[in-house]
Amino acid sequence: MAQMPALIPKEVEIQRLKKVWLIVIAMGSTAASVEVDNFVDGSLHQTSIRDSAFTPAHWWLYSHFITLPLGWGAAAIYDRKIPVLRGPNNSMNTGLKMTILGYLATMFTIGVNEMWHFWFVEEIFAVPNHWMFNMGVVVAFMGALAYVVRVYARLVELGAETPGENPYVAEMYKMALEGKLYSRAIP
Amino acid sequence: MTLPKGFGSGGGGGSSSADIERMIGKRVENMTGMITVSFWAAILATFGGTAAGYFYYPWAYPTASGHFAFIVLTIIIAIGYIFCVKVMEEGSNKNSNGIVGGSVAGATAFCLFVSLYVGW
Repeated sequence: MAQMPALIPKEVEIQRLKKVWLIVIAMGSTAASVEVDNFVDGSLHQTSIRDSAFTPAHWWLYSHFITLPLGWGAAAIYDRKIPVLRGPNNSMNTGLKMTILGYLATMFTIGVNEMWHFWFVEEIFAVPNHWMFNMGVVVAFMGALAYVVRVYARLVELGAETPGENPYVAEMYKMALEGKLYSRAIP
Repeated sequence: MTLPKGFGSGGGGGSSSADIERMIGKRVENMTGMITVSFWAAILATFGGTAAGYFYYPWAYPTASGHFAFIVLTIIIAIGYIFCVKVMEEGSNKNSNGIVGGSVAGATAFCLFVSLYVGW
């Protein structure tokens, strides 16, 4: 694996990467809890279709649409202290851009969703107002994966984490470190 | 290695361990206290959320459903908590197994108490 240029002392970089890792674990827990809430919300909508936008299952669901963009925003602010994570032309990391855009889409869709449900009091999964929730989350997860793998790969490269034994995983780390996990053209 | 502006001896480019400590700030292996407080805050907030559900919205969120959610969320939060502390302390000589074990045991007891006696 090619050694990336070190612009800050190794010890400093490991500590900073681990602080990003803390944020990522917290958001991973939030994302896992929302997976549970998908089932809670789904079962609630089979019994009471939609009496209110503020059912407990919706508080839970909507709070993550706000928590995760804010959390990734915090990661983006702190991320500026780690040179190896910068994106093209010293911009924000491409994975972070995708993640934040994806979750911003879901935040925006909360409003769209409530306007729709003002007129149509149902909870059919496939109605158009739900599309952007799902697309936003998928885009956000793709970006988050690219970012998280890059952070982990760098920790492996610095000797702070254990390298993967599977050659395909090792190749993924290598591509992530070069900023080419999804595309060779867009770092 | 040349350090960022404000660090180092000025022009020489050399870095001392004091400079490195100043760049690091609070080290992750010393954050166990903060992580533990966050863990308990998350547990209590989750309890508040589910309690509001079964006390205020019993028509939408039956008590059993709220308890189920609380149990699953306690497990998820505990896994995240353990991960946070173990990853932050790996490679250092810190060991907070007692604090982590105590907190997780306390959360388990609290979760069982709520599930058995609250809201029924």
